[in-house]
Amino acid sequence: MSNIVSCRNVSKVFGHADLAVQALQGINLDIHAGDFATLAGPSGSGKTTLLNMIGALDTPSSGEVVIDGQPLARLTAAQLSEIRLHKVGFVFQAYNLIPVLSARENIEFVLELQGVPGAERKERALNALADVALEGLADRRPAQMSGGQQQRVAVARALVSRPAIVLADEPTANLDSKTSEELIALMYRLNQERGTTFVIGTHDPGVMAHSKRHIQLLDGRIDGDGQG
Amino acid sequence: MIAALAWRNIWRQPIRTALSMVGMGFAAMLLVFMLSFEFGSYDTIKTGMLRISDGFGQIQPKGYKDDPAIDKVIEEPTALMADLAGVGAVTASSARDMAFVLLARGNLSFAAAVTGIDPVQENRITVVSSYVKQGRALRAGDRDAIILGDGLARNLGVKLGDRITLLGSARDGSVAADVLRLVGIFKSNIPEMDRQVAQIPLARFNETFQMNGAVNTVALSGRTLRDITAASGRLRRIAARHGLVYLDWAQLQPAIKQGIALDLSTAMTMYATLIFVVVFIILNTLYMSVLERTREFGVLLAIGMKPRQIGRMVWMEIIFLSLVGTGIGVVLGMILTGWFQVHGISFQGLQEVYAQFGLPSRIYPHMTPFRVLFGPLVMLAAVVLLAVIPYRRVLGLKPVSAMGAGG
Repeated sequence: MSNIVSCRNVSKVFGHADLAVQALQGINLDIHAGDFATLAGPSGSGKTTLLNMIGALDTPSSGEVVIDGQPLARLTAAQLSEIRLHKVGFVFQAYNLIPVLSARENIEFVLELQGVPGAERKERALNALADVALEGLADRRPAQMSGGQQQRVAVARALVSRPAIVLADEPTANLDSKTSEELIALMYRLNQERGTTFVIGTHDPGVMAHSKRHIQLLDGRIDGDGQG
Repeated sequence: MIAALAWRNIWRQPIRTALSMVGMGFAAMLLVFMLSFEFGSYDTIKTGMLRISDGFGQIQPKGYKDDPAIDKVIEEPTALMADLAGVGAVTASSARDMAFVLLARGNLSFAAAVTGIDPVQENRITVVSSYVKQGRALRAGDRDAIILGDGLARNLGVKLGDRITLLGSARDGSVAADVLRLVGIFKSNIPEMDRQVAQIPLARFNETFQMNGAVNTVALSGRTLRDITAASGRLRRIAARHGLVYLDWAQLQPAIKQGIALDLSTAMTMYATLIFVVVFIILNTLYMSVLERTREFGVLLAIGMKPRQIGRMVWMEIIFLSLVGTGIGVVLGMILTGWFQVHGISFQGLQEVYAQFGLPSRIYPHMTPFRVLFGPLVMLAAVVLLAVIPYRRVLGLKPVSAMGAGG
């Protein structure tokens, strides 16, 4: 099974001297193609920091992160943007859609950044909306949609660029239990049908129940890594 | 889509955007009007002053301006004026003679500058005939007629129909003497002119002062001063061909040029201050808008947008806002200025003062592409250039810290 992400001895320290906080300590982790993994742990255990490393949003203080065969060390800000654009999809807790763009435009925007031609962009964006069962809401702006609908659009945006991995940080935290269940079922279906790799940082037992792999973090270290 | 995004972003806070646009628009409107008024009034002042006596330009013998001696002459004025007639911008040219003389009546005598003019041509160049308050102006066919400024007439104690004795030096150094009949008294409200100037027919001057057909200067006029100024190069070449010099308005009236330059420097300081204040208010607003959206920019970085792309989007927002605000201001400024360009602006109570400078009681702003666009374009350029400040702020953003920011 090929590795989508490899972390070797990854550590992250925030602050300096007496105020230094060791957020991650010597993390060794491989995410495999097709994983549907949850990253769990108490607050402050390093879930978000590790997701940021895996997603090329931040760089480790020491150690190495490789995404889809590409080591991230020594890449410029623009090169890291390219990695995020082409290899990583993100789903955030607060949806984080662009408020002045419609659902379709939010999805198309990522494709435009990739340089996909206009006609293809539109077709792929509509297909992505259909995949999350929101084809009827293509022209609605985020403020005209419920939280669950916005998060489904965010999933469609994360998937439309055909990334190597989709990272979701507490994607259900702002959703009610029914909507959370629907969203996780959707992501799980996409993982099953398409083999899309998901890593989900969560506290939500409902999410963990769907995971095929459960990674437990504690105090910046991996405290457990096993089948879900 | 980035352009569409930028356009929609500026309307997220419609009231703030509208206020920013109103600010820029008002400043642009003011700049269009003020510059058009400023330069329009300069045009009026220059034209008014030049039409009192100088004309829009003159051709003279070399050195005549600094030392107007009667023996510095244009020997062939007819040939020169024929050449001037070939210049499209020149609508009239008038030969003149001038001498400093004594005018006497009875026991009273006063020094005066007497000018020999062609009344028909002169009326197309200067407005002295319109200043005549008693009697009449000189006219074609006059032989021994003279008109005086009212101060000079008062000093001499003369009235219309009186004989006045003229005594001076002719071109050849001999005594020039004549007796002339007063046909008109003018009042220009310019004290020096009213106390010292007299006009007689050019032909009479020629005889009395032994000019032998030569003249001292040729004054010229055009449809507008701008037309004559534009033809300056050609007029200089014609003058040089005749061994003469061409003097433009600034050389004829250097004091006006200096006065305008002084006034303009004060006005420009005011305009620069206006632009400075407006630009920094706008930039402050835009910078606040960037700070408020730091978290959103972090998300855009996370989904793969490059910092430079976000910076360009912010720059585009600034350009859109500035273009719309300035554009509206320019249009409103043109409408406002256009109205006053037709109807003029009257400064009540200042008519007497204006008249002293040959100015009408109404001042008319005058639009040209430069006057309309210069101020707003400077403001636009300043905003667009200083937008580098929010642009650099965006370039320095890191996704994680930006997403952790409020807003």
